[in-house]
Amino acid sequence: MNLHTRKLLDRSFTAAGFFAIVMMACALILILYPIISRGLGAYIFRATCEHRRVQFEEFQAGSRQEIEREAAEIAAVRQPVFDMIAAHEKDLKAELQEAFDQVRALAAAEGGFLQRSLERRLKRAHADASLEECLAVLSDIRESLKGQYDHERFIGVIGVITERKQRVEQAAGKLSDMKHALRDLLGPLPGDRRPELLRSHYGQTRWDRSLHYLDKFLYRYDWDYTNAENTGVKTRTPRADEFRGTDLEPAFGYVRDNIEAMMQPRLTFYWRFLTTDSRDAHFFGGIWPEVLGTFYLTIGAMLFAIPMGVIAAIYLCEYARPTKTVSLLRSCMSTLAGVPSIVFGLFGLAFFLNTVGVSDSKSVLAGSLTLALMILPTVIRASEEAILAVPFTYKEAALGLGAGRWRTVLTVILPAALPGILTGIVISMGRAAGETAPIIFTAAVSVGLAISPLQALDSPTPALPWNIYNLCTEHEAVDEIRHVQFGMVFTLVALVLALNIIAIALRARISRKLRG
Amino acid sequence: MKRMFKKIANCTAAAIAATVMVGTVYAGETIVMDGSTTVGPLAKAFAEFYMRQNPGVNITVAESGSGNGAKSIINKTCQVANMSRFMKDTEFKAAADAGVMPVAHVVALDGLPILVHPSNPVRNLTVAQVRQIFTGQITNWKQVGGPDLGIVCVSRDTNSGTYECFNELVMNKEKISDRAEYVGSNGAIRQRVQSTPAAIGYAGLAFVDDTVKALTINGIAPTAANVRDGSYPIARPLFMFTDGYPKLGSHLQRLVTLCLTEEGNSLIKETGFIATTDY
Repeated sequence: MNLHTRKLLDRSFTAAGFFAIVMMACALILILYPIISRGLGAYIFRATCEHRRVQFEEFQAGSRQEIEREAAEIAAVRQPVFDMIAAHEKDLKAELQEAFDQVRALAAAEGGFLQRSLERRLKRAHADASLEECLAVLSDIRESLKGQYDHERFIGVIGVITERKQRVEQAAGKLSDMKHALRDLLGPLPGDRRPELLRSHYGQTRWDRSLHYLDKFLYRYDWDYTNAENTGVKTRTPRADEFRGTDLEPAFGYVRDNIEAMMQPRLTFYWRFLTTDSRDAHFFGGIWPEVLGTFYLTIGAMLFAIPMGVIAAIYLCEYARPTKTVSLLRSCMSTLAGVPSIVFGLFGLAFFLNTVGVSDSKSVLAGSLTLALMILPTVIRASEEAILAVPFTYKEAALGLGAGRWRTVLTVILPAALPGILTGIVISMGRAAGETAPIIFTAAVSVGLAISPLQALDSPTPALPWNIYNLCTEHEAVDEIRHVQFGMVFTLVALVLALNIIAIALRARISRKLRG
Repeated sequence: MKRMFKKIANCTAAAIAATVMVGTVYAGETIVMDGSTTVGPLAKAFAEFYMRQNPGVNITVAESGSGNGAKSIINKTCQVANMSRFMKDTEFKAAADAGVMPVAHVVALDGLPILVHPSNPVRNLTVAQVRQIFTGQITNWKQVGGPDLGIVCVSRDTNSGTYECFNELVMNKEKISDRAEYVGSNGAIRQRVQSTPAAIGYAGLAFVDDTVKALTINGIAPTAANVRDGSYPIARPLFMFTDGYPKLGSHLQRLVTLCLTEEGNSLIKETGFIATTDY
């Protein structure tokens, strides 16, 4: 090989190495950028007044005066819309009036049982009754008139009722759609029945979601299937068109122009996302139970895996004779390191929960034991390598000075191997924190409170990796709470990163001390 | 060197102590609910509502499928098994052998809407057509009055109670075509259907939103009234199973009978399901 070829090979190797590093950096940016940018969106975002109300009413955060002042301001801005709706409803009710008048006249003319029954129904459609109620009363009256044996006599009244009802019903349907869209944006409207689900108590808490729902309020999205040969086309029509010429028409322009005053978005650093529990299946609140659960599971796994792993490594390196059994043991361990994590999960369920019965239900304890089993091979392998890397002269010196084998291991070999052991522990700690499969059957649930360490022995817990998966695949309203999911991913990555940084710092300190 | 070890030991001790302090101090009853992903939204709403009214009770909800719910209650690892189908003979037998006596509480009714992409012009299918689509006899939307598109069938996994119900009510025990995709949850079905114009799938009522379109079956829409009077053909009750009837007045009993109260009724309606009673 001449010099020229050698140079060329050398350069191309440099180029390949450089290329690999650039690729890795690109991949890192590609993966980390959305995690960080969208994940931070759960912590830092433009929060609306509804967010502050949730925080105050559910988590006692913020001052009462501030909230009340804001509520008064918002109510003042929102009121015109509600007034327009009320005026429109009144108009629609007025259109029904003729039908009611005819029924009333009929009742007076008939007298007797029919009068009593009609008047009882009419009473339900009093002046303050809702439009839906009035329509329902009319249907009810029509049915009862039709049910009379001599219903031909009422054919005129029935005709008026039917005609009026049809005319108003269509408008009422549009109004109800519009109110539904408004409810999604602003929360319950005045006069609504109080809902039980917490998510329906409040309007949009985030400005980005508010804009999404504003669009849905201003425009009606439909599918046009006129071309039967092809798939439908999405159409977008301004909702204002449906109410042209009514009291409600200006409402749409008003909401569009005043949306900021109605929602009062303010850039907020929502640190409580980390420290509060969730409400209504993650619609509101934070992820503290998940963070705490992940923490318990990781610490628990470490408590089991580190002593067992290090002791096993010491035994294998220092005490075991190099027999066939030991080498078989080593290859078994390597195999164990390659077993898919879901297999560990199922093993944990079958062994720790069903056979041994460490707890009555899924529990942090069972999950920790399973995770510990999963990371044990890594811990043993890393510790073994670290112990083997300690120069033989250290051991010779210690033994030469009269130290026993146990003392040599404890005072000379282990401290020297500590940085390497720590590296192995750090790697496996990150893995334990992030694994989903082993905890599905042994520890994780989708909803639960934060638990105390004592409860960890027999209670299951939510945990970040499982809840990320659960939110994205199983949650009934996943599109509403994407930010929570990204927030969880970001928190998990940050948590693992923090663990790693702590361990790296610790390791650097120890190495420095060792060097003297 | 010894000092360093001591330091590490101290650090560990401090970390453990911090964990102990940080953990919310609280001691109460824990109720574990496990099972169906379809019943999940309702179970979560019940749990939330109940915990709010009874502080000190910790209710955890896991969504792992009806089959796993049954296994959990047989293994006594949960107190409530949420199931979107009734227990099978084999499960009852296993339960009896393990000394567990499953008692079914019907908490709500659920229609099984057949979902397609909203761009799909097809509005109505008969049960027979749905069956033929899933057995693979009908492979193109053209055959049922739609556009020229190959049908993508999305089904739940076989561990699911929703799958069992679909299998019984629609498939008539005929085999689902090998080309069908199997996914692990209701949410995954919706996601698959909302992103695939040619897809057809089925899920619980609580999982239907405006990103997918629910078809009418035999001309009947899966509304509350149609499900309750039995005219919508693909409907089933949702169950919560307990081991024996829970002690009267216990948290467990009040939790599984929450559906009979007025608040429970509203919760059922607001999550999208159909209450057995109507207030």
